[in-house]
Amino acid sequence: MELRSALLRAALARPAVLTAVLPGATRARLAVERELRARRWPRVLSPAAADLLVVVGRPGEDEPAWLEGTWQALSEPRALVRVEEAADAGAVLDAGHAALLRGGPRTGTAAGGPRPHHASPVTDPGHLDHAHADHMAAHSHDSPMLISGLPLADRADDRDGLRLDRLHVPFGPVLPDWPAGLVVRLALQGDVVQEVTGVELVPAAPEPRPAFWDEPWRRAAAGAPVTRGEAARRRCAAHLDSLGRLLAVADWPDAATRARRLRDAALADAPAAELAYPARRLARRVGRSRTLRWLTSGIGVLPRERALAAGVGGPALEADGDVWRRTVQWLAEAVRAAEACEDPRPLPPGDPYGPRGELTGEQPPSRALLDVLPSLLHGAELAAARLTLASLDPDPDELLPVAAGEVARG
Amino acid sequence: MADSAPLWAAAALPLLLAPAALAVACADGRSVAPVREVLRLLVQQPRRTRAADALATRTGTVLLPLAAVLAAAVVPLGATPVSDLGDGVVWFNAMEALAWAAVWLTGWGPNSTLSLVGGYRFLAQGLAYEIPHMLALTTAALGAGSLRVTEIADAQRGLWFAVWMPAAFALYLLSAAAMSFWGPFGQPAGRDLAGGVATELTGVGRLLLLGGRRLLLLTSAAMAVPLFLGGGHGPLLPGWAWTLVKTGAVLALLLWLRRRLPGVRMDRYTELSWVVLTPLAVLQALVVAVVVLP
Amino acid sequence: MAGAEGRPLLLLLAVCVLGVLLLHGAGRLCAVRREPARALPPFSGGLAPAEHPASRFHVRWYPVSLVFLAFDMEMLFMYPWVRVVGEMGTPAVVEMFLFLGILLAAVAYAWREGAFRWS
Repeated sequence: MELRSALLRAALARPAVLTAVLPGATRARLAVERELRARRWPRVLSPAAADLLVVVGRPGEDEPAWLEGTWQALSEPRALVRVEEAADAGAVLDAGHAALLRGGPRTGTAAGGPRPHHASPVTDPGHLDHAHADHMAAHSHDSPMLISGLPLADRADDRDGLRLDRLHVPFGPVLPDWPAGLVVRLALQGDVVQEVTGVELVPAAPEPRPAFWDEPWRRAAAGAPVTRGEAARRRCAAHLDSLGRLLAVADWPDAATRARRLRDAALADAPAAELAYPARRLARRVGRSRTLRWLTSGIGVLPRERALAAGVGGPALEADGDVWRRTVQWLAEAVRAAEACEDPRPLPPGDPYGPRGELTGEQPPSRALLDVLPSLLHGAELAAARLTLASLDPDPDELLPVAAGEVARG
Repeated sequence: MADSAPLWAAAALPLLLAPAALAVACADGRSVAPVREVLRLLVQQPRRTRAADALATRTGTVLLPLAAVLAAAVVPLGATPVSDLGDGVVWFNAMEALAWAAVWLTGWGPNSTLSLVGGYRFLAQGLAYEIPHMLALTTAALGAGSLRVTEIADAQRGLWFAVWMPAAFALYLLSAAAMSFWGPFGQPAGRDLAGGVATELTGVGRLLLLGGRRLLLLTSAAMAVPLFLGGGHGPLLPGWAWTLVKTGAVLALLLWLRRRLPGVRMDRYTELSWVVLTPLAVLQALVVAVVVLP
Repeated sequence: MAGAEGRPLLLLLAVCVLGVLLLHGAGRLCAVRREPARALPPFSGGLAPAEHPASRFHVRWYPVSLVFLAFDMEMLFMYPWVRVVGEMGTPAVVEMFLFLGILLAAVAYAWREGAFRWS
């Protein structure tokens, strides 16, 4: 028994972390990513590989089905913690680690700061099986054949006119390098997206502050003093964050890590000289990669006219093309922004151009990015679909309603 | 001409390979995290998915490391392999081809979209890498006029095959990464699929699959040494040391390449493989065939 | 296989199987058991799919697999061929590369038909 607990302690010395990020929680997410890197805790891709589930942000409902599903998919030893404020990230992670080591039948209760009344997302362990039993009981001869309470895939025409099995799978919200809280419902034939049947955001609690990446422009619009350098710095970090996600989806971890380190340096007020040089180096390495160009050209093509018609602005409009063009556009804008991040002149309050497009329009720019998504994913392979989504990188934070009058506080 | 190693070497081989594969994993991630990962997977409670084909998963996860270790039996350490088969190259080829079955079964077993897509991705990958790979193997065998691995190594006392059949060597290195679905060829277990074939794996099953992948990478890198880099031949150092040094160098090259390249998708690579790499491999074989003509 | 070269392979296989069994045994011994075993829905982000994922998969690289089979059969001839090139000389080389040439012509045809691009 002594040996076993020693083994457990050694195995969990650095727990494997799966993060589930909600809309509106970018500050907290960045803090969690920083803390995890400092602790050298590994981040994993799926719940099967995770010890610690870190929910970042505030869910808008009490028992979200996606969180329940993710938590159930973790194997023991497991623990769940919630990070709601960036400042708490370190303490909450430590509490989660302690809960993991302490063990016990219910480890989902560790958390720091205020949290919703349900302490543990664990419900009756037999819950799922009951649901199946009901299905089985309802099973009659004229209904489709059910196995473990679930039918087999039906068939539908594919893009070449063949009738093939069609599988309905919701993707997200807990996927690596995926927009916070996004659920894309796909009808799949093999690994081809036959149809996008829904694009949703999981409900999140309203956030009093403006979207993190748009903050300087929103504050300037509300009359607060903001320098151009400050805005450029945020733009640089926003694009580097997007690039980090895109490069990770393109399975280039080395370049993705570089982009994310640089993003954190930009947000940590590194001087322009220390930002511009590595930004140019990153742009050179990624922008001149023939392999990446070969792999991302011709995917997710969004021509200028279509972008304009859909109301898409910012880099996705300027790029006027495929995933590769959008990558290059981000790189160029990130370098330009890095060079300008010490500009002391005030940002004119009317400057509408945030990192993802005009912020003065009726709708936030990310709304248009999500709106063009279904047509771009149609007929794409999963890998191409994920690259397309990552190269648009809609920011779900922008889609949360902002409480009026709170904008200027920042 | 070398003999087979004593029989106990067969028992020692897995004990040599397993820590070496762990070391490769550590070098890849530049940390000792894989050691903790092994412990973590041992204490993790195994779970299964709904209506899963547990036998398929179990078979697949066991088969991968098994295939890698059995393939390593013909790789000579210095001058002596565990078994000096007369058709060692064919044995190696047959064993690493088991990875196809292993990865697909692992992907099929959990009844999960992401792992299923990962499994099929590996089949597509196999169709793309295997022909240039086999042509590279036969080219080296052709250079020595033998399918016995030790004889191929001995034929390179003067000039390494890597020097005068560079295309075959380069194609072999590509396929080494591809067959172990590692690095740029890691799409079957890709990030965009939340781990692909490994998405649903826990505990020892996960350990076997991920460990088997490293073992396969290690074995295929080690096989490059007798095939193209002169085996254990070299000045000063003993043969076994040269094998280790050269294997390390091949692995270092692969790790370096990994850092320069994004993940390669088969919907693009297949065309390159069939239209450029396969004819190139045939051309290389032709050049070698003409050179070795009596 | 049963000869002097086969025996170490059989022993190696036995050792590997034993090793795998030991690992599973170690897993059984060390793994924590805090929850009763449950059958979980497959993971794709937290929400379950509407049907069983193990459906008929749309394999769009089917033509590639046919071209592959042709080459795979060819490799069966090429392995033994390697050992006789030295004795047979030029005719062996000419015959083999004629064969390979025909196969490459098939590859060119398949390429023109777009078999290697499916997305």
